[in-house]
Amino acid sequence: MPIDEHVKSGINGSELLKFRDGSVRLEVDMRCYRLSAVQKVAYKLAEKCTVVLGGVDVTSLPITFLFPPATSEAVALDVIRLFFQDLLDQELREQIAEETRPLRALLLAHAFSKTNLIRRE
Amino acid sequence: MTLDAPFHDRTEYLPAASYRLLPFRFGRFDDHRYLLTNDVGEYVLLSRNDLVAFVEHRLDRGDGAYRALKSRHFLFDERSRVALDLLALKYRTRAEGVASFTGLHIFVVTLRCDHSCHYCQVSRQTEDRLHFDMTPAHADAALELTFRSPSKRIKIEFQGGEPLLNFDLIRHVVERGKEINRTHRRDLRFVIASNLSRLSDEVLSFCRTNGVYLSTSLDGPEDLHEAQRPLRGGHSYRTTTDNIRRAREALGPGFISALMTTTPASLMRVEEIIDEYVRQGFHSIFLRNLSPYGFAARTNLLRRCTIEDWIEFYKRGLARILKINAGGYPLREEFTSILLQKLFSPTGSNYVDLQSPAGIGIGAIVYNYDGSIYASDEGRMLAEMGDASFRLGHLDSDNYEKMMTSESLLSVLDKSMPEGAPMCNDCPFLPYCGADPVFHRVTQGDPVGHKAFSDFCKKQMATLRYVIGLLESDAGVRGTLLQWI
Repeated sequence: MPIDEHVKSGINGSELLKFRDGSVRLEVDMRCYRLSAVQKVAYKLAEKCTVVLGGVDVTSLPITFLFPPATSEAVALDVIRLFFQDLLDQELREQIAEETRPLRALLLAHAFSKTNLIRRE
Repeated sequence: MTLDAPFHDRTEYLPAASYRLLPFRFGRFDDHRYLLTNDVGEYVLLSRNDLVAFVEHRLDRGDGAYRALKSRHFLFDERSRVALDLLALKYRTRAEGVASFTGLHIFVVTLRCDHSCHYCQVSRQTEDRLHFDMTPAHADAALELTFRSPSKRIKIEFQGGEPLLNFDLIRHVVERGKEINRTHRRDLRFVIASNLSRLSDEVLSFCRTNGVYLSTSLDGPEDLHEAQRPLRGGHSYRTTTDNIRRAREALGPGFISALMTTTPASLMRVEEIIDEYVRQGFHSIFLRNLSPYGFAARTNLLRRCTIEDWIEFYKRGLARILKINAGGYPLREEFTSILLQKLFSPTGSNYVDLQSPAGIGIGAIVYNYDGSIYASDEGRMLAEMGDASFRLGHLDSDNYEKMMTSESLLSVLDKSMPEGAPMCNDCPFLPYCGADPVFHRVTQGDPVGHKAFSDFCKKQMATLRYVIGLLESDAGVRGTLLQWI
């Protein structure tokens, strides 16, 4: 699916996506993404903009992207596209982490079970 | 497969719906590919379609991606008999260095120096100020702490200032260190990090007798070296290169190495710098970026030589080095070698600045000229700038237990581990990276730092991306690079 379609499918009312007063406001459909994924991607974008997350309800999360002065609309919208690209990746990561968490714990326990790192009294 | 069974059973070609994912990280590598890595440092490049198919358990067993992922421990199926055991063994091997900690002990035997390098990161003092020398009593106390480290390999590195200005103390530490080691029986080595201006016959003879290595600085061709590393009385280039030759003749070629520091003046001259190393007979060079400490931080050098500038410098330099290798002269770039060790060696690399947990205290300890103990060389540089966050104690008043269990060390080691740091914990480059709490403290005021703003992170990501790209795109280049491990 082209990225623009991803953007539209993940934003409620995406046709209203507008760059005004150095910011972009949108709502993310929380039926598609986990809050933890949104938070991590927002953190990662800190060099390009400040992402303000609003109050979350069952289906949507209002987000405001605040850009540094002199940011053009084209640059700002490119950051929004990047946000949704990263969000898809982050969702996948959350899915992998969920599936592999018990195995990771097992592996670490197994790896260190034969060492003397832990001194038994 | 035998003659009795010339064909695979048809079940071999059924979609492997039963495979299970093993823990891994991933991230976009370029426009077309994703990089997948796991905790033991294996990597695979996949298209996004293959990545999604893999995660959704839709990969076919006959697929090349399936075989690559299985052989590198990203998945296991009912035929993987030893996958978990092998993965655990590899993980343990990679982490075992943590248990035998602190292999590098730095003795700052003096802060005095006869050079006045513009980028000096250690806030040097003039030659006449003798109270910037370490005392024998502090050196003895430092040696006692050195041998408390559990590491089987101990390297004592003499730094300054110019350490040869206090050669008597170096002699004392080497002789006393060897004496103590008769009981401890560690693999004990000594290195003097020197500009070589005071390399007398007496020093050379001592180094030869005691197997002491020399590490020096050579910033490039004569005009560049002279401009960046002025020596009182002049001729710093001739002094350095003449003494490199003398040291090589007296000690053998393996006992003298050199490194360079990138400044605004070097940025456009990487090819000339590399050619100078070849002219001087070196087979390795360390393309080192400027660090934000000492005079380099107080002047505007860092603003005129950004990390983005250095990354371009590094890429051009590596291209030149590979061309020189292709011409038949073996030449290794040391930072790339470290990355390659991290990528391919079962034990990774022991390079102090790229460890997880961080190398502070457990990779290196610094005994400063005044008896203060620091968790890293950069930690003492930071202290000279007025921030003593990484001071572990003092040789007069603190014992080994107090130093190694101090909250100022343990809490930073704990907090800065990339496996738990925001952004790092999802980064596919994590197995090849490390933590640098001192760098983040000095640049962001916090030992963990926000990686979106981190030059350390930019450097690691860019160089790793570039090196992996080279490994994957050209078999000849890959062959050369793999010889550097």
